[in-house]
Amino acid sequence: MNGKKPVGLTIDGLKVQAAEGTNVLRAAEQAGVSIPHFCFHAGLDVEGSCRMCLVEIEGLPKLELACSTIIREGMVVRTSTDRVGEARKDVLEFLLAEHPLDCPICDKAGECRLQDYYDLYGLYASRMIEPRERRDKKVPIGRGLILDRERCVLCTRCVRFLRLVTGTGELGMFERSLRSEVGIYDGRPVDNNYSGNLVDICPVGAITAEDFRFKTRAWFLVRRPSVCPHCSRGCAVIIESVEGYPLRRSEKRVYRVTARENPAVNGFWICDVGRDGRHDIDDGRHAAVSEKGAPVQGLSWEKALAGVAAAIRSVPGPERAGKIAVVLNARLTCEELALAKGLFVTGLGLGKVFFADRKPGPADSLLLTSDRVPNAKGVLDAGFTPRLPALGELAGAEVLLVFGSYILEHFGEEDVARALAGVPSKYLFAAHTGPLDRLVDAVFPVAHPAEKSGTYINTEGVRQSFARAVRPCPAVVAEGAILVCLANSLGISLGDADVR
Amino acid sequence: MIKAWRVLRELVRGAAITARHFFVNMTFHTLRLFGIRTRRRGAVTIQYPEVQKALSPRHHSLHRIRPRPDGKPSCVACMLCVTVCPSECLYVEAAEDPDPEVQKLPAKFVVDLNRCCFCGFCVEACPVDAIRMDTGEIRLASLTRAGLEVPLDKP
Amino acid sequence: MFGDVLIILVKVVLTLMWTLLLALFLTWVERKESAVMQDRIGANRASVFGLRIFGLFQPFADAIKMLFKEDFCPTFAQRALHWLAPTFSFFFVSVTMVAVPFGDTISLFGRRIPLQVVDLNAAVLFVLAMLSLGIYGILVGGWASSNRFALIGSLRGAAQLVSYEVALGLSLVGLIMVFPSLSLARIVEFQGGLLFGFLPKWGIFLQPLGFAVFFLAGMAETKRVPFDMPEGESEIIGFYTEYGGLKFGLFMFTDFLEVIVLASMATTLFFGGWQVPWLGDAGFAFPGGGRIGLPPWAVTVLRVLSFNLKVFFFCWLQILTRWTYPRFRYDQVMDLGWKVLVPLGAANILATGLILAVR
Ligand code: SF4
Ligand code: SF4
Ligand code: SF4
Ligand code: FES
Repeated sequence: MNGKKPVGLTIDGLKVQAAEGTNVLRAAEQAGVSIPHFCFHAGLDVEGSCRMCLVEIEGLPKLELACSTIIREGMVVRTSTDRVGEARKDVLEFLLAEHPLDCPICDKAGECRLQDYYDLYGLYASRMIEPRERRDKKVPIGRGLILDRERCVLCTRCVRFLRLVTGTGELGMFERSLRSEVGIYDGRPVDNNYSGNLVDICPVGAITAEDFRFKTRAWFLVRRPSVCPHCSRGCAVIIESVEGYPLRRSEKRVYRVTARENPAVNGFWICDVGRDGRHDIDDGRHAAVSEKGAPVQGLSWEKALAGVAAAIRSVPGPERAGKIAVVLNARLTCEELALAKGLFVTGLGLGKVFFADRKPGPADSLLLTSDRVPNAKGVLDAGFTPRLPALGELAGAEVLLVFGSYILEHFGEEDVARALAGVPSKYLFAAHTGPLDRLVDAVFPVAHPAEKSGTYINTEGVRQSFARAVRPCPAVVAEGAILVCLANSLGISLGDADVR
Repeated sequence: MIKAWRVLRELVRGAAITARHFFVNMTFHTLRLFGIRTRRRGAVTIQYPEVQKALSPRHHSLHRIRPRPDGKPSCVACMLCVTVCPSECLYVEAAEDPDPEVQKLPAKFVVDLNRCCFCGFCVEACPVDAIRMDTGEIRLASLTRAGLEVPLDKP
Repeated sequence: MFGDVLIILVKVVLTLMWTLLLALFLTWVERKESAVMQDRIGANRASVFGLRIFGLFQPFADAIKMLFKEDFCPTFAQRALHWLAPTFSFFFVSVTMVAVPFGDTISLFGRRIPLQVVDLNAAVLFVLAMLSLGIYGILVGGWASSNRFALIGSLRGAAQLVSYEVALGLSLVGLIMVFPSLSLARIVEFQGGLLFGFLPKWGIFLQPLGFAVFFLAGMAETKRVPFDMPEGESEIIGFYTEYGGLKFGLFMFTDFLEVIVLASMATTLFFGGWQVPWLGDAGFAFPGGGRIGLPPWAVTVLRVLSFNLKVFFFCWLQILTRWTYPRFRYDQVMDLGWKVLVPLGAANILATGLILAVR
């Protein structure tokens, strides 16, 4: 309980303990009792504007807001009495009185709190006979976000997020009472690296993202947890993809990446770089083993790998240390790095094991780090000393294995081409197509981190294990499997290295 | 013995019924052959392609998307029909419409008649009554599978 | 000598043509008759230059379709036997027709020519023998298909046919006791007499029980619907599962030939063959004393017509039966064969013997 004093209370007859200073809503949630709410968000401060969270507290004459009531020792809370039910129904009726009910065209439909709560607590027949108030339905507020004022329930989550979390405060509440509405200040659209979170936290479909807008429906998406590979923070994410119906062959699998709550790493948020990472999973991927820059249909990676093993075997043992070069990267999982260590360093005794990675980019104050790889700590942890190769070191090799085509971010294409021209056997293991494909003998399509399982150690040393979130296309294989296969065909035992 | 007798009786009765039908129908056929039209006919057959029965108003025929007054499809691409379709044969791709009152329109709306079982669930699921199965088109045949993937987005 | 051979050849050809055309016609009759029985119209679309004539071209359309279908043979089947089986069936059934008398004798070019291909002195046995050989078609077909279901179907068929052959044989013994001959021509001649002075001396009046057993067992031999254990097309899978196209067509055609053979045998043995009641060589002689004189050619025409009409009636009757009754269960088929028809046949022999002895 984070060192705070535990407080005992009763919620719906359950004896519950929660840390001092917790509000009733969170305490109930921890005890498995969910209280409907719109405006409260655990990552923001308490507003108390939606009135959805009313509960009955013994000794108090009126219903109280669960979000803004701090628990006290011996408190007795009831969330399922008729009074509370009536109150919820009435609040919902007020919220929905002006609602456009355009669920058919609303992206939030299926994961919308209004829908859920109406289903759970509403179920009344509408009593509105007056025409609905019309408001702006399509207001671009910057960064590809679109605001629909008719759908907004004025919970101010978005406003508070931009004030408290990013500190940029682009959105504000304008006008008063019936006319109040959310909006940007003149000429200052939302522009920060965390804008995507607004779509996540808006409890209704008032803020939607152009990137996802109208592409599919929420209920077609399969949500699987993963870890974002785009910076060394390693934010916990959810990859939302469509499997099977109604997917057509030509389409993307991944429709969006959203934040997953992990207090130890990213709290509730992820940055837009990670959100845009959905393109990284689907776009520009290798789908088959290619040789000399052209995909070879029907050639399995196992068969092609036999050529790699043969090339390695053709270098006599004592010369291997200097004549075989390997370039790894920090997108490999800890398990794969351990395998690589066992195979290349311990097994083959190579001296030339290098690392080439994405170039560092600008960091921001919140989550994004400058290190644009997920497992920099894991590389050290596996016992490597990462070092970028000089081109001369590669040129002298007889066999060259390159994992990931990041070397081109550090050297010009012509220089790399010149250096590689002298290497007799060179192989690339990459997920995405790129100019390096033409410069090597064969390219093996490998899995994107979202398509494999493993462990990353983030910049703070937090280990996060993750499982496969997206099914890779059939020809694609994880680097781990390649390393194991290679070791087997070279007769090298990888011992009890974690081959999970 | 009694049982055998009964069996025999039923056998004869059966044959008598079929024989009666044969002779009665034959009589009417013969009358017709000689140009004598009777109210009753020898057969109840409807000579299908030449003679067609009227479809029941509840009949499920080929789907259509009802147009709006301005000609655009009235479908809002909500994909509820796609969701409910038990044969998984509908495919809808949405597009943005400049009119903020419309916003969402189908860019592609395909029904795959190879799979459709004509249950009509899509019609019932549609929140805006856009899809209907009342075209009366029942001659749905094609020489290719692709020919049975009928686009409905151009009403 | 040469003349005799020519005459025989012509008769063979005519008989074969008569049989095949009738079988072809029966396929049409079957469709139409079943349709009329079921208040339908039946196949009526096949046309030549827009001429439909009640779909009479349907059999030809069917034949052409069968001819042009893929000649399919399962990979592991015995190719030669697979082909041989339907030809077997077809041959042994059609060959029985040579023993059937179509009419009495005619005088042509100074010769007396019986309207029968050959007058075998053991024709009844010949027919029974040929029908039994037909079983080989089924057995070989099922075995050559290299398909368990087909094999089981053919064994089922063989068991059924063998069982009913016993009843078939027994039912004829009584008849042979009454008409002491095995030659079909002689049997028909015997039936020209009168019983009690007014009733034609037909087998049906002398051997009513014998006829019932004969006709039932015969229907079982044709393996058509109430008795179609061997094929059981829709549910139990029979011996021609692996057959298609022309070969299947042959099997199906054989069924119709069997219908014709049964009808002809019933006519010949029990309904006086080509005999017309009270018609003698010189014309009608009614029991009451009336007489109508007729020239010999008219008598012959009447007799041939009579034979044809009777055959046609029995074909019609079999088709009616086929479209009236549902299929028996296999144990029922066996029960009917062994527990009803065989004892009845035996009883018939006993009764006939008793009556003959007493008289
Ligand atoms: S836009 Fe969404 S998050 Fe913002 S106030 Fe409206 S409902 Fe709340
Ligand atoms: S009729 Fe039924 S099966 Fe056909 S498209 Fe509609 S929902 Fe799908
Ligand atoms: S036809 Fe109806 S249910 Fe289907 S997508 Fe269009 S609006 Fe939605
Ligand atoms: S959650 Fe308590 S008032 Fe909105």
